[in-house]
Amino acid sequence: MIAIPKYLTRFTVSLFTMTVFSCEMQQKVDFNAEIRPIINSKCISCHGGVKKSGGFSLLFRSEALAPTESGSPAILPGEPENSELIKRIQHHDPELRMPLDASPLSDKEIRLLTQWIEQGAEWEDHWAFVSPKPVSPPEPEDLWVQNAIDPFVLDQLQDNGLQPNPKADKATLLRRVSLDLTGIPPSPEQVRHFEEDTSGNAYEKVVDRLLASPQYGERWAAMWLDLARYADSKGYEADRHRDIWRYRDWVIEAFNQDMPFDQFTIEQLAGDLLPNSTREQQIATAFHRNTMTNDEGGTDDEEFRVAAVLDRVNTTWDVWQGVTFACVQCHSHPYDPFRHKEYYQFYAFFNQTEDSDKYPDEPPFMLVYQQEEDGQRKQIQAYLDSLTRSGETTRKSQRQIARKEEELKQLKAYKLPVMKELSVENSRKTHVFDRGNWLTHGEEVWANVPGSLPSMPADAPANRLGMAQWLVSEENPLTARVTVNRFWGQLFGKGFVETQEDFGSQGFKPTHPELLDYLALHFIHEQKWSVKKLLKMMVMSATYQQSSKVRPEVLDKDPYNYLLARGPRFRLTAEQLRDQALAVSGLLSTKMYGPSVMPPQPEGIWQVVYNGSRWVTSQGEDRYRRALYTYIRRTSPYPSMITFDGPSREFCLTRRINTNTPLQALVTLNDPVYLEAAQALAKHMREKGGEQLQEKIRYGYEKVLLKSPSSKTLQTLTALYHESQQHYQDSVMQAVKQTDNPSKAFEPELAGLTVVANAMMNLDSFIMKE
Amino acid sequence: MKIYKEAIHKKFELETRRHFLRKCTSGIGALALGSLLGGCGKVIDQMGQMRDAARPMKALPPHFAPKAKRIIYLHMAGSPSQLELFDYKPELQKLDGLDCPPSLLEGKRFAFIQGVPKMLGPQYSFAQHGQSGAWVSDRLPHFSKVVDDVAFLKAMHTDEFNHAPAQLLLHTGGPRLGRPSMGSWVTYGLGTENENLPGFVVLVSGGTTPSAGKSVWGSGFLPTVYQGVQCRSKGDPVLYLSDPEGMNRNLRKKSIEAINKINQETYEEFGDPETLTRISQYEMAFKMQMSVPEAMDISKEPDYIHQMYGTEPGKASFANNCLLARRLAERDVRFIQLYHWGWDSHGAGKAEALDHGFKDRCQEVDQAMTALLQDLKVRGLLDETLVVWGGEFGRTPMRENRGGQEMVFVGRDHHLEAFTIWMAGGGVKPGITYGETDEIGYYGVKDRAHVHDLQATILHLLGMDHEKLTYQFQGRPFRLTDVHGHLIKDIIS
Repeated sequence: MIAIPKYLTRFTVSLFTMTVFSCEMQQKVDFNAEIRPIINSKCISCHGGVKKSGGFSLLFRSEALAPTESGSPAILPGEPENSELIKRIQHHDPELRMPLDASPLSDKEIRLLTQWIEQGAEWEDHWAFVSPKPVSPPEPEDLWVQNAIDPFVLDQLQDNGLQPNPKADKATLLRRVSLDLTGIPPSPEQVRHFEEDTSGNAYEKVVDRLLASPQYGERWAAMWLDLARYADSKGYEADRHRDIWRYRDWVIEAFNQDMPFDQFTIEQLAGDLLPNSTREQQIATAFHRNTMTNDEGGTDDEEFRVAAVLDRVNTTWDVWQGVTFACVQCHSHPYDPFRHKEYYQFYAFFNQTEDSDKYPDEPPFMLVYQQEEDGQRKQIQAYLDSLTRSGETTRKSQRQIARKEEELKQLKAYKLPVMKELSVENSRKTHVFDRGNWLTHGEEVWANVPGSLPSMPADAPANRLGMAQWLVSEENPLTARVTVNRFWGQLFGKGFVETQEDFGSQGFKPTHPELLDYLALHFIHEQKWSVKKLLKMMVMSATYQQSSKVRPEVLDKDPYNYLLARGPRFRLTAEQLRDQALAVSGLLSTKMYGPSVMPPQPEGIWQVVYNGSRWVTSQGEDRYRRALYTYIRRTSPYPSMITFDGPSREFCLTRRINTNTPLQALVTLNDPVYLEAAQALAKHMREKGGEQLQEKIRYGYEKVLLKSPSSKTLQTLTALYHESQQHYQDSVMQAVKQTDNPSKAFEPELAGLTVVANAMMNLDSFIMKE
Repeated sequence: MKIYKEAIHKKFELETRRHFLRKCTSGIGALALGSLLGGCGKVIDQMGQMRDAARPMKALPPHFAPKAKRIIYLHMAGSPSQLELFDYKPELQKLDGLDCPPSLLEGKRFAFIQGVPKMLGPQYSFAQHGQSGAWVSDRLPHFSKVVDDVAFLKAMHTDEFNHAPAQLLLHTGGPRLGRPSMGSWVTYGLGTENENLPGFVVLVSGGTTPSAGKSVWGSGFLPTVYQGVQCRSKGDPVLYLSDPEGMNRNLRKKSIEAINKINQETYEEFGDPETLTRISQYEMAFKMQMSVPEAMDISKEPDYIHQMYGTEPGKASFANNCLLARRLAERDVRFIQLYHWGWDSHGAGKAEALDHGFKDRCQEVDQAMTALLQDLKVRGLLDETLVVWGGEFGRTPMRENRGGQEMVFVGRDHHLEAFTIWMAGGGVKPGITYGETDEIGYYGVKDRAHVHDLQATILHLLGMDHEKLTYQFQGRPFRLTDVHGHLIKDIIS
């Protein structure tokens, strides 16, 4: 028998158990658990949002109780016997019976609807649109529990007759938490150190170290850049270069400084509107300048300005509200309580910025510099300011000023597109676009948030800044849940709400609703929006520290690990895979920030019309930078990243879907980046591994997988090495080419170790987080 | 009638119950394919298809008996002028050089035309060919011999008049980036009969990728396993296909065997079905290393074939790609997509002008596309292979006057109201013309067909209902034709 998560049981029972319900007659019907599922699966496709067959809609209570085309309402609260709805679902004539052209509702469903109308046809908002309520963790007495997360998880496991897995071994746990928090595996020395540290807080010390490392910011920026649809090009036909890397650096710094998430939100959406906004706050607003700009000849700039503003609305909702607001662009939402007009009210927040699909410079922009130049710039600026302040006007000082100003001009400046509000006299009017067509204007609207969510804070201005403040206000029921769910999903492979992009009524329900709400409230009130504190709590839980081994009985009951009876085991991201290969082979550069780099990619990938841009392979350590610094051109993204499910960054992507394909095998087997890593590792194996072949292989294996090979594995790899030697003896000439230094005499040992290293870097245990 | 309906309800009820039970087995309702591919075992998806997570490209049954097993789509990127190839307009000749009447310009948006342009008559002479009497211009002497195998759709129309959005609308069903391409939908819906080759292959000629870039063969929100695999004529035909120098086939075999042996050990330790999937994907990769270069090697084709297509092994050309398309069709690749760039005949430069570059483009494609049809027919493959040819929109009956000036070369602007495509084989009526434009080729006046209708028809010929081929994304089911698309019944045999 399959275990059914708690949240599904009521629904399942309602559909399947045809037993006695008399005891339920007295109970109040639960709208969200019992009625909404019926409406959403059986009624709403004809009676809601876009379609209102017969003038009847079940989207809002006011609509459901309103007169239909027949002139009278279909639902009369308290009078099921007189309600047309009840008559029609029971009608004996299939041509009149609802749902039309479908199987009739079950007796149980009819009974529930009847009771519900009898009890007054009360409406209840969808769970995600209701603010989370304070909840205390259950208290199962168990030594397993590490923090407040665990009782929630354990409670549900026990309900389903399951027990959690034992703790993962220390090496596995360290690899897992290092990859999760910094995107880079630990070194064998770090593993040894952790294994030898028997103090009670050994793990916590490791977690604190990882959270404090600069690589932490890089790892989480990589996640955020999918949401920001960050790329180094403008998109569309010509897809020309864009200098927006300084925004990426801002994100890294913000994560490293643990900028509270509410501030992180406000600065990216409206940093320019903050009083006395700083340079950094203005740089943050490039978040919404990652929209595409169309340079194609003959395009209408206004059309693509509108497209960019629409994208800003949709992205904002995807990222902070987890609601498919884009649906409302063309018509009222078919399932969720958002009206067509409300979309354009929200659009009005974004419709007042200066940018207008211009090129080549994409104004408004600000001049930014690389780190070193930025230091010089600040120095010169400070000097100039001091001269001006001192009021000296000697000829000498004037010459000095002129020279310094010249120096300032010499610094290489980059034009970073940012957000800037139009002056009041130039402000735009906003209209509803009929059926989403920007050329067909409907009524005029003014900036506001949808009526089904809490209204704007009283003191918030009716502009982007006020909208951003609204998103992170304590009353907003979605932002904290969506954010907590996203970070959880990054660690555990899926969020409590698996459809991270859809918290609406068509999305999945949370697997652990109370835990989700607990964490959301804790994030706001206790952790004060600190992402580091949130992540620390998650990785410190016993739930996270479980071994990821799958016991057969658990696989049977919960194949997808919704109940969390084991630790997470899933494939590393495209970025993590590349970084890991470079890290274990000692090639990875720790250089941070700056313009994007171009590591080797095959010839002929970039062939774009009307665009002379070329891929110029980076030299020196820039070849080995972390993946998040790799240049992303939207119409032609970096091949190995795409193969491992990295997005092309044309639009906001809230969740990558992991695939497992033969093309991925070809990348890790044959991509020169991975071969270079294998060669570098082979050298380490030869030079530091020891005298005996098996020692060398063991050394390499431990470097790559951070555990000892089983004797069987060691045997397999040793045999592979001997195969390679046999092969090289047969064809010495070919092998000369295999080593990276053809001037030297051929070294069959190094070539053989490279083959072994390449195999090790293709193992499932390497490609997966365990 | 009522009895019949009741019967359908009963069947539906049964299916719903089965469906729910399946959902239960997979542990959750409305299971997204994503979780499935990252997950394990065999699961039935939203459309009721049994899917094997270890073999996402495994062949799946169509919705109903298909007319075509596969498709070769020849896309002429930039959009060739229908008025110089198929849509013969003697009336337009009479208007040549006259000012365009204001009625044609009111409320219209063009990419480049400004002010009052002049009308432009057909630039080449036309004649009727074959028993069907199809009009073809003298630019396509080879193709005019096979018109009786072809159905012309002359009143095609679209919503977009810029290249990138129009190409996206045609190939992904929506004008903006981010949706799955037709080939992704087809391989998602049908899988492929030959898992040793990619199910969706893209071949590009003319020096550049299409305007909308690789998104026209991207998988959008479908899992990336369904994106088109570009096979290249230079370097590795598939990226990273060839082993590094010094590693031969035998050593690669040994190394994959070693990897899989250790992975088997890992599976025994962790019990994660994903590990089993990885083992099978490495085996598949090893097979593809053999089968792709074999399929992509045209050097062993006999001389008469090279003469027929005008191919030269080792060169990147449309002709080579046509021959490759036939080889891939023979090997049961499901969706074969060719792009040939260079049809954007504005007259702004010599290379694309109607009186210069356009002639070269015609020469580049004429013999090869004709050979492809003939060759498929001889081999008995045309019946089961749908071939489609066309651009993303049409061209204006007015001469382009960029900046309001007469230009040195002759050209036409983008036009969304009327263009011609042709289809052949795979269940399409041969030797017919469907749709008609007005006397100057400006509007479709009879049997217009929107690009969404074309998509619906292509899916139908492949055995799929365009309204049923859906994927749940962002809370709603998406499909190739969005909320549009009507079957063009009259062209189906």
